[in-house]
Amino acid sequence: MDNTHRLIQTSYKLKDSVRYRRAKKFFYDLLENPKARVRPYFDVFMILLVVTSVWVLIYDVRHDMGLFDDLFEWVAVTIFIIEYLLRFWIYNDSHKVILSHYERAEFINQPFRAWPALREVVAKKWEYMTQPLAIIDLLAIIPTYRPLRFLRIFLLFRLFKLFRYTRSISEFVKVLNEKRIELFTLFIFMAFITFTAATALFFFETDVVDGKGVGSFFESIYWALVTMSTVGYGDITPHTTEGRVVTIILIIAGLGVISFFTSIIVSAFGEKMHEIRAQRVFSEVERKHIDLIICGYGRVGQVVADQLAADQRQFVLVDPQESNVRLAKQKGYLAALGDAADSALLESLGIATQAKRLLCLTGDDVANVYITLSARQMNTEIEIISRANHRENVTKLRLAGADHTVAPYEIVGLIAAEYVGQPVAFEAIYGMLTGQNDVGIEAVRVRSGSVLDGRCMADIGFRQRKLIPFGVVREGGCPIDASSGAYEIEGRCFHFNPTPDFELQAGDLVVMFGHEYSVVHFRDCLERGTL
Amino acid sequence: MGRSDSLIFGCGPMGQEVAEQLIGRKLPVYMYSSDLDRVAEVLAKGFDAAVLDYTDDDKLRQVGIGEWVKVIFCLFPEEAKNVFLTLSARALDPDLKIICVSESSQSGQKLFAAGASKVIDPYEISGRKVHELITRPMIVDMLEHTVFGKHLDIAEIEIPLDSCLSGNPLSILDLGGRYNVVLMGVVDVEMSDRLIFSTSGVDHKLDAGDMLVVIGPAVEITRLKGDLEEDRTDQLLGG
Repeated sequence: MDNTHRLIQTSYKLKDSVRYRRAKKFFYDLLENPKARVRPYFDVFMILLVVTSVWVLIYDVRHDMGLFDDLFEWVAVTIFIIEYLLRFWIYNDSHKVILSHYERAEFINQPFRAWPALREVVAKKWEYMTQPLAIIDLLAIIPTYRPLRFLRIFLLFRLFKLFRYTRSISEFVKVLNEKRIELFTLFIFMAFITFTAATALFFFETDVVDGKGVGSFFESIYWALVTMSTVGYGDITPHTTEGRVVTIILIIAGLGVISFFTSIIVSAFGEKMHEIRAQRVFSEVERKHIDLIICGYGRVGQVVADQLAADQRQFVLVDPQESNVRLAKQKGYLAALGDAADSALLESLGIATQAKRLLCLTGDDVANVYITLSARQMNTEIEIISRANHRENVTKLRLAGADHTVAPYEIVGLIAAEYVGQPVAFEAIYGMLTGQNDVGIEAVRVRSGSVLDGRCMADIGFRQRKLIPFGVVREGGCPIDASSGAYEIEGRCFHFNPTPDFELQAGDLVVMFGHEYSVVHFRDCLERGTL
Repeated sequence: MGRSDSLIFGCGPMGQEVAEQLIGRKLPVYMYSSDLDRVAEVLAKGFDAAVLDYTDDDKLRQVGIGEWVKVIFCLFPEEAKNVFLTLSARALDPDLKIICVSESSQSGQKLFAAGASKVIDPYEISGRKVHELITRPMIVDMLEHTVFGKHLDIAEIEIPLDSCLSGNPLSILDLGGRYNVVLMGVVDVEMSDRLIFSTSGVDHKLDAGDMLVVIGPAVEITRLKGDLEEDRTDQLLGG
C-alpha cells in the first residue's frame, strides 16, 4: 500500500517538475525531433562514431592496436548504451500511464491497483524494444559483452544504425516498402523456380561420378541461385544433358526475374522521385524559416521573384506547370511543383505555421480567389497579396480575404490614359511605377530621440541634400483643424507637402523624392546623428 | 463614324480598361477589333466600337491614321498582331504615337523596333508593385490613395511665352512654399522627353515651352496654372 502511494507521489512530482520536462524535451530534440536545430549535429557525430568503430573492427582483424582498440571500443559502446537508454526513456512518459490509471480509478471510485498500471508501463517499453531500429541498436551493443564475443560479426549491425541518422537511406527503405507486394510476388516466383531447378539438378546430377556432381541439396540450391542471378561462378556445373536442359530453362527464367526486379525498383523510384523532391523543398522551407510563398511563376511571378532575389529575401514558389518550375530551379529558386489550390500543399509549405505572406499571382482569377480563400481559412494573420486580372474580381478577392490586390490591366489603363492626356507627366508616373529611374520615392522613419524627432521641416535642409519632401505619414487619424493637405489613409494621416513649421514626431514616416544616393546619404547622416 | 484622336485596337479586357479610363477623363475614344464577337461585347457595354481588318492599310487610312489620329493603342492579346499593326501604322504616319502592351521584355524590343513610341509591360509593373507592397507597404498605400486615388493629381504645366519664370534656374523655384504643390521636375520639350527631376544636380534654366510636372490637389494646380497664364510675378516668385 505504501509503495503504491509512493509510486503515485513520484509520478505527480515528475509531472510537475519543470526540470524533468525540460531535460526530456532536450533529449527528444537531440535524438528524435526532426525539426530541432541540434539534431543534425548529433546525427553527424553518431555517423562518424559508427563508421569509425566499424573501421576499427576491420583494422583490428589483421593488426594489433593494443590498448587504443579497447579504449575506443569502450567509449563507443558507452555512448551507444547511453543513447539506447535515452531513447528507451523518451519513448513515452511512464508517469503519465500510471497517473491515467490512478485518475481513472479515482473517477470510478475504485481502489488503485499498481500492477495493471505497471504492466502497461512495461508493455509500452517492450513495444519500443521490439521496434526494428531499437533491435538494431541493441545488437550493436551486445557483442561487446565478453561471453558473447562470438557474436562479433553482429557489430556490423552498427552500420544499420546509420538508418537512424540519414534520411536518404530511410527514404530508400520507404520506397522498397511501398513495393512490397510486387517484391513479395517476385520472391515467391523466385523461390518456386529455385526450388524446382535445384530439385531437378539434384535429381539428375548426384549420380555423376568423379566427385564432380552436386554433393548435397544445399549445394544444388546454391547452384540454382548463382545461375539464376546470372552470376554463374562455375564452381558447380551440370554434366548430364538433362542437367544442362534444366540450366538453360533456369537461365531464361533468371533473366526474367532479374529484369522484373530491376523494373520494380526503377518504377518505384520513378513514382517516388517527385514526392522526394517535394519533400526536400518542404523541409528546406521549414529549416530556413521561409515565410513568403509565391503561387504562380508566370510573368508577374518572375518579376517579383527576381526582385526579391535581388533583395536577398527568401521565398518559395509553387506552380502547377513543370516548365515553370524548371525555369525557377534553373535560376536557383526554391520551387515546388503542384497546384496551390491544394490545401495540403500549402500546409506543407507552412501556411498555418511560419508563413507571413502569400502572393497569389497566377493568371487565372478563379485560382487566385480559391487560393486566397483557403489560405485565409488556414491562417487569419497571414498577409495575402493577390493579382486580379479583371476589375470585377477585385471585390471578390477582397471578400475572399486578400489584403491587397494588384490589377495589371487596370495599371495599363491608368498609365495609358495619362499618356494621352499628359504625355510629359506620364514619364514621371511611369518612372515612379516601374522604378526605372534612379530617382524614386523613399520613406524615412522618425525614431524617438533621433535628430529628426521634434524638428521642423524647414530645419532639416531637404533642399541642400537634393531631396524633395513629399509628405509625412503620421499614425492616428487626422486632426479636425488640419490644413487642406491632410488626408486620412487607413487610420493614418498623410500630410501632403507639409509647411516649413511642421514639427516631426517620433513614429512619423517622412516620404521624399530623391536620387537613391541622396537618400542613402540622408539616412547615413541620421544614423550618425548629424544634420 | 465620328472623329477621334485616339484609337484602341483590341477589344479584350485590357482594351476595355484603357477605354474606360480615357472616357473617364473626357477623352473620346474608338475601339476596333477584327473579332466580331468581341466588338459585339464592347458595344453592349456602351463603348464606341467597330469591326476593322487591321491588315488592310486602306482601312487604317479610312479611320484616320496618317490624318487626324494622334494616338493609337495596340492592345491585342497576340504579340504578332501588335507588331504588325505597329509596323503598318508607323509606315502611314511617322509622327503617330503608338502605345503597345508587351508580354515580355523580348517582345518589347520587337515592338520598339517596329516603331512603337511606348511599350507598357503590365506584368513588369504589377510585379514591381507586388514587390513594393512587400518591401514598403506604407508608401504604396499612400500613393494609391493620393496620387493614383482621388486626393492628388499629377499635372504638367507649360511655361507660357515671356513668363517671368523664364531664365530662372529650376533650383530657385519655391512652388512648394507658395502653392500647396510638390514640383517633381521639368521637361525641356525641345531637348528630350526626359524628366529633369528638380533634385538632380543639373541646374536647368527655365524657358518658355518647358513643362513643369507638379503633384498637388486639383485646386492648387488650377491656381498655379492661372497665375502662370496671367504671369503674376508676385505670386510665382514672391516680389
